Amino acid sequence: MAIGVLALVGTRKGLFMLRGDDARRTWHAEGPLLDGWGVYHATVDARDGTVYAAANHLVYGPTIQFSADGGKTWQRSKKLSLPEWSGLTVNAAWHIEPGLPRDPGTLYLGADPGVLFRSDDHGRTWEPNLGILEHPTRDRWYPGAGGLCLHSIQVDPRDRRRMYVGITAAGSFRTDDGGQTWMPVNKNVAVDHLPEMYPEVGQCVHKLLLHPARPERLWQQGHFGVYRSDDCGDSWDRLDGNGLPTSFGFPIMIDPKDPDAAFVIPEKSPEYHYCPDGQFAVYRTRDGGQTWQQMSDGLPRPAWAAVLREASAFDADSLYFGTQSGSFFALADGTWIEAVRHLPPILSVEVTQWFT
Amino acid sequence: MVHVIVPSVLAAQAEGQQRFDVAAETETVGDALRALPVADLLFNERGEWNGYLNVYVDGTDTRERGGPACPLTGAREIRVIAMVAGG
Repeated sequence: MAIGVLALVGTRKGLFMLRGDDARRTWHAEGPLLDGWGVYHATVDARDGTVYAAANHLVYGPTIQFSADGGKTWQRSKKLSLPEWSGLTVNAAWHIEPGLPRDPGTLYLGADPGVLFRSDDHGRTWEPNLGILEHPTRDRWYPGAGGLCLHSIQVDPRDRRRMYVGITAAGSFRTDDGGQTWMPVNKNVAVDHLPEMYPEVGQCVHKLLLHPARPERLWQQGHFGVYRSDDCGDSWDRLDGNGLPTSFGFPIMIDPKDPDAAFVIPEKSPEYHYCPDGQFAVYRTRDGGQTWQQMSDGLPRPAWAAVLREASAFDADSLYFGTQSGSFFALADGTWIEAVRHLPPILSVEVTQWFT
Repeated sequence: MVHVIVPSVLAAQAEGQQRFDVAAETETVGDALRALPVADLLFNERGEWNGYLNVYVDGTDTRERGGPACPLTGAREIRVIAMVAGG
């Protein structure tokens, strides 16, 4: 039976497993696992309990590592590689997304340089998606400070042929044919740093999420704004203002029970990656982004924290995030609990139920 | 036998084994490293040594002797060292 929540916290120096009680108030940290590796993302495949980690090392390169025993022992996937004709090599592994429950063994991986991989053997081997690799707009994609990273992968739970990816800085893309072809879906998404404000591609999407209960609804936090789409990305409405102190930030969270809810953590500006004026807060909307309210009870003030794009998570009961200063926060009855502090810089957070 | 010693991060990727033996007749240091269970972490996808990797044969930097092509004739020890970098 489930007795609490397990948070997988990827850091610059390894993976930590944080176990919280059902109230999200008492936490126990275990780690570091994969000691010395930068864990850009780690997740539990709910279909079989396997833990997957996108683990990168300055010297030893990008890897996918997986554990069938809760992190006690690990195996590495076969080395990630791109076709030689592409002229590209894999710079970093960014995000692992398990496939739908009816596709056991299928997983997706986003990586730098703006590439998507698929595995159909539980992550042992990975094949690049040629539709993304050979995308006709690739010459208009530009890397952000973290590289040309494909960091968001969302599969429509109603139709496995429809998927979305978010790439910094290329924008959001959708496939309706199982990954054969990908169309840019960036209409009305601003790019303030290019001569053309609304180009077809080049958007710096920071995080893209699909609402599982209303899959045509997408949310994104971008470099220049918070957006919502109600038509599978065909068009976007900009939602910042109306209570948000800035339009800039990296993570975005949703409430799986409420398609009108979203949560962001604003930062000062593209030049200054920390919360504005020392006012560390999560902002919540419950009306589709028309209004935003501050959620700061329990957060330290003043603080100049920064939360990276992969460093937040949500489940049906709570929200979670980790800071670059190594603090992990969970929401308990409307108050943020600093569950663990002094971890290495936190790169990623995922949560799942913790079973005995 | 030629002994190969790897750093602790690599040893952790080889079930804790930090020291490996390769056959004395192995021709080059590249051949020796390709025989290790962590070879995929030493070479990039094009088969080149990863940057930031230092390899010494009996105390001599292999960069001075052809890198992966460095001959192993008479060698006793290969030491793999991650370059000192970052904070």
